[in-house]
Amino acid sequence: MIEAAGLTVELGAGQAVREASFVIAPGDRIGIVGESGCGKTMLGLALMGMVPDAGRVSGSLTVDGTQMVGAGEATWQRLRARRVAMIFQEPMAALNPIKRVGETVMEPMMVHLGLGRDAARARALELFREVGIPDPEARLRQFPHEISGGQRQRVLIALALACDPGVLIADEPTTALDANVALRVTQLLVGLAERRTMGLVFISHDLAAVARATERVMVMYGGDIVERGATGEVLVRPRHPYTQGLLSARPSPGNMRATAGRRGRLPTIPGSVPPLAELAPGCRFSGRCPVELDVCRGERPPLRGTMICHRAEEGA
Amino acid sequence: MTLLSVEAVTRRYRLPRQALWSPPPVLTAVDAASFTLEAGRTLGVVGESGSGKSTLARMVMGFERPDAGRILFDGQDLAALPPAALRRLRPRFQMVFQDPYGSLDPRRTVGWSIAEPLRATGAEERGKVAEALDHVGLRPADAGKYPHEFSGGQRQRVAIARAIVTRPALLVADEAVSALDMSVQAQILNLLMDLQDELGLAILFISHDLAVVSSICDHVLVMEHGKTVEQGAVAQIMRNPGTAYTKSLLQAGGLL
Ligand SMILES: Nc1ncnc2c1ncn2[C@@H]1O[C@H](COP(=O)(O)OP(=O)(O)OP(=O)(O)O)[C@@H](O)[C@H]1O
Ligand code: SF4
Ligand SMILES: [Mg+2]
Repeated sequence: MIEAAGLTVELGAGQAVREASFVIAPGDRIGIVGESGCGKTMLGLALMGMVPDAGRVSGSLTVDGTQMVGAGEATWQRLRARRVAMIFQEPMAALNPIKRVGETVMEPMMVHLGLGRDAARARALELFREVGIPDPEARLRQFPHEISGGQRQRVLIALALACDPGVLIADEPTTALDANVALRVTQLLVGLAERRTMGLVFISHDLAAVARATERVMVMYGGDIVERGATGEVLVRPRHPYTQGLLSARPSPGNMRATAGRRGRLPTIPGSVPPLAELAPGCRFSGRCPVELDVCRGERPPLRGTMICHRAEEGA
Repeated sequence: MTLLSVEAVTRRYRLPRQALWSPPPVLTAVDAASFTLEAGRTLGVVGESGSGKSTLARMVMGFERPDAGRILFDGQDLAALPPAALRRLRPRFQMVFQDPYGSLDPRRTVGWSIAEPLRATGAEERGKVAEALDHVGLRPADAGKYPHEFSGGQRQRVAIARAIVTRPALLVADEAVSALDMSVQAQILNLLMDLQDELGLAILFISHDLAVVSSICDHVLVMEHGKTVEQGAVAQIMRNPGTAYTKSLLQAGGLL
């Protein structure tokens, strides 16, 4: 069980994550969505104790009751081995190119679980079967470059499961994959979370994948969790202006807005996510928000129900 | 007016021999694909990776020759043209790739990269580069910057500026928005539609994402393992997919 309260990641230039609070219980499946640079990965890294050296973490983060903010590297290492695992955004970076993938998956089991080679091998084989890798015995002996993108993602999932974590953080696990392959990987992650009563944090800007994989969702903008709630609710009836903007920009014939004399265009959120140093002190979304008020730029909106927005009272 | 006419085009690759005594296996990457593209219109090509989309794109661009069939651009058979004639025709069809970082030289200013297709033809530069930047929503002053000074979406705008600087009649976009965030994706898709309206550009739009294709294309061609499994009006195919494969592509991208 993970509990974050006011969790903040300061990166010199500014706050990549600002006062995030949430609970992840066993078996929970939670999505994190938002544009590139909104702090999704940084939040995931904070849960792993892996923020960049220049970063400072504050607030509270407890894992199974142990306070991890300020914890030493040894404590984090124990935790990473057994409690929380992560599938990283760059899949190739996680696999050693000159090592057979079987060895890579066996290693943490030998180091952290004290298994011998044969036992680790048997378990790696079992994991490869569990994540649906065809011909698992042959795969164990292959090198990363000999495996297709979809199968490689499965190897990474097997690696993350090696020490039976309570929570799995998957950072953009489907983004580099084809629609059909992405669908199968998503289904695999959901099945694993259910069978193992494992928490799943599914980070993605692919809303279709998040809709399938998760029960709850948190929308991030500029380091803030701006809206949260049941996935079906938030993605169907978004309330925060940012979430509304994201959803209406989804390419689909139904979202096209025709203007006189020319064919339809997609609604867009004007501009782009500013760098950390240029984020407004108040609402991070001010400057791009279509329904901005005078107070927005300077004053931080309070949390009202499921979102932080000065328009919350009006039921924006 | 028909700008591009692809007639039963096939492309085969010989794979490495599996054993000394066996003939090398042959992969048919594109199997008798046929379509026409009118000036100013957009045709989508969808399919999973490995279905032959990019091979088709490379043949349309004249980078690769078909093993069978013909590709006519403005009535001229690309494979039959002598190299010099192909070079002269080149400014009229341009391409945008998935990875804008890989397609721009990191050590050159973007202005230099945008002018590249112009230099190939010896046309004058400065005014045209500024004009192309303006078309894609960047500022003329951006010409002096380097690729790393731009965001992913802006780099894709730069790549598009380079592709339109010669005022082509045809733009081949191969997964041009796939690596972008959803909000930036919408901006780039709108940009392509704007350019089409302003410049009368025809677009061959290649993507694995049927939702993206459906928002920008009039017609679509669905490929699976090199074969065309379905083609027709987008609205019609979305409403009534004719094959299980198309249906699975539709479902895979759907929200709830
Ligand atoms: N090592 C670093 N040093 C300084 N700033 C960083 C570092 N890594 C990320 N940032 C900044 O922190 C902010 C959040 O980045 P993060 O990688 O968490 O975004 P993200 O939501 O995961 O984006 P994406 O969808 O592109 O993966 C951004 O402004 C980013 O530029
Ligand atoms: S607080 Fe203001 S700027 Fe921010 S999302 Fe709400 S209305 Fe828009
Ligand atoms: Mg990230």
